[in-house]
Amino acid sequence: MSAGITSNEAHSSTYRAAEMARTIGLYILLIVASLVVLFPILFSLSLAVQGDTLAPQLVPDFSKLDWSVFSQAFNQEPNLGRWIINSFVVSLAVTLGQLITSSLAAYALATLDFPGKSIFFVIFLATLMIPWEATVIPNYLTIARDLHWKDSYQGLIVPFLGSGFGIFLLRQYFMTIPKDLYEAAVIDGCGRTRYLWSILIPLSRPALGTLAVYAFLNTYNQYYWPLLITDSPEWRTTQVGITAFRQTESAVFNLQMAGTLIVMVPTLLLLIIGQRQLVRGLTSGALKG
Amino acid sequence: MSTQTDEVVTITPSSQTTSPDETFSNSTYIRRRRWQNFGWALLYMAPALIIFAAFTFWPFFQSIYLSFFVTDQAGQTVRFNDVQYYSRILNLDGSGRTEYLQSIWVTIEFSLMVVPLGIVVSVALAVLATAKVKIIGVFRTIFTSSVAISVASASVIWALIYNPSVKATQWLVDALHLKSQGLLLDASTALPSVAFMTIWTSLGFNFIITLSGIQAIPQDLYESSKIDGANGWNSFRFITLPLLTPTLLFLFIISTISCFQAFTQFNVLIANEGPDGSTNVMVYQLFTAFFKDTRYGFASAIAVVLFLVVLVLTLIQYRLLDRKVHYQ
Repeated sequence: MSAGITSNEAHSSTYRAAEMARTIGLYILLIVASLVVLFPILFSLSLAVQGDTLAPQLVPDFSKLDWSVFSQAFNQEPNLGRWIINSFVVSLAVTLGQLITSSLAAYALATLDFPGKSIFFVIFLATLMIPWEATVIPNYLTIARDLHWKDSYQGLIVPFLGSGFGIFLLRQYFMTIPKDLYEAAVIDGCGRTRYLWSILIPLSRPALGTLAVYAFLNTYNQYYWPLLITDSPEWRTTQVGITAFRQTESAVFNLQMAGTLIVMVPTLLLLIIGQRQLVRGLTSGALKG
Repeated sequence: MSTQTDEVVTITPSSQTTSPDETFSNSTYIRRRRWQNFGWALLYMAPALIIFAAFTFWPFFQSIYLSFFVTDQAGQTVRFNDVQYYSRILNLDGSGRTEYLQSIWVTIEFSLMVVPLGIVVSVALAVLATAKVKIIGVFRTIFTSSVAISVASASVIWALIYNPSVKATQWLVDALHLKSQGLLLDASTALPSVAFMTIWTSLGFNFIITLSGIQAIPQDLYESSKIDGANGWNSFRFITLPLLTPTLLFLFIISTISCFQAFTQFNVLIANEGPDGSTNVMVYQLFTAFFKDTRYGFASAIAVVLFLVVLVLTLIQYRLLDRKVHYQ
């Protein structure tokens, strides 16, 4: 009897030890994977705080870290602040614009019954199949040559005010809201536009949040179009600015890295705050529904 | 007898004359309401339609149109050029200029380097991120992080990682006995280096998609396989992987499309067609023809070829997604 109990105890303690070893192993794996994934960011942080040196180390000397480089970057490149403002103005305007145009169009597609609906549906679907590169040349000619919108906010904003992705995302969400609600509201004398504004929009906050995070991130991180459409340094956005800064400070590694980290802060914050919305947005294409 | 009463009921004249009338008036009402709705719908869709007409559809057809013309510096058509630009891109015109065909090949090579390895890494990370340990959320955020980092910022960082004076990749340069100073300067390593960096930039997105695919797999499948004595590898091999296949196919297509559209990293890390043209991907060539050389007609032809490639991939993706829905 007693022998049985001890072997049982021994068994459970070895089991517990094995479980513990497994957990520790998992943590080690997770930490190693995290370090590998974060390597470029850690690398840039390390180089940023090492001071102005032409032979930086991978791991900085922790006794003499130079954090002043982050304010230095603003002095060295007076336009850095302006670039961040530009990026925010453009990203916020595009986000707001996409929210408006997408929710209006999605409302028509999801709620109203009208002739030719399927044709409009296909038109919006087609926008998802045309890659940006296939339209960029005439768009450049329209904006730069015909409208003279180079170096202007409207040139950076207007082409992006529509979003096929946004329309389908919101349409799908609007369709989950019972149609009886619409019928009842209309019978009660609620106008179509008021129904959208005071019932549908407040009920669809999760989907609108997803679109907002997605649109802001994509616009903030844009590179190709701002590169084409901005000539003077003060009209650059952060992404074009930071690559230009890299060229002007090609031998000053700490400033390059500090500038890059500074312009990354808004989107990293957005990732932490809006991770759920972002994940929902990114997976909505993959998981259909 | 009962049959007779049935007949009597059906013959009631009043019901026969009013009902078609009613349906008629009802259908005109519905029709009128639908046309009334049409006006409203058009109004609601107008902002999006105007933007798409001006900045997606019109320029798209304009691109096709321009690709058949020789253009001047201002982008005005000078003369009709037939399909000569297309035959030049595909090296069918006998000019012996293979650089355009090579550019298509470089783009395919780039995709082959990025896509499979990128998917393998993201599956490994996603499986790791399903571990039931505390603060797993922190690790998931870390694995997702590259999704928030722009390709431009990432390129500036990786340009320094690859920079010969920083010495971070010197060991690799030595190990491969390269004659060039840095990985980006050698024809044999430039494209793989950009590809490696691209795997990192797309890691966050791939991870999110793969993790959500794994999370969609019913947990009881794992539990019953555990009861049947399956180890971790077996349940990965026989449950996770087969059920993840649709997600991975989606990822495969999406990643390939984004490889065909990659531009920023090439413009920042390389900024030209690369050593011996080894990194001259289609979009970069399009950029050179369009922005540096202002050859709008020729650049449009490259854009149309690129569109066709992406279209084929997109259609495959839609087919796969439809299959997946039936499968579920």
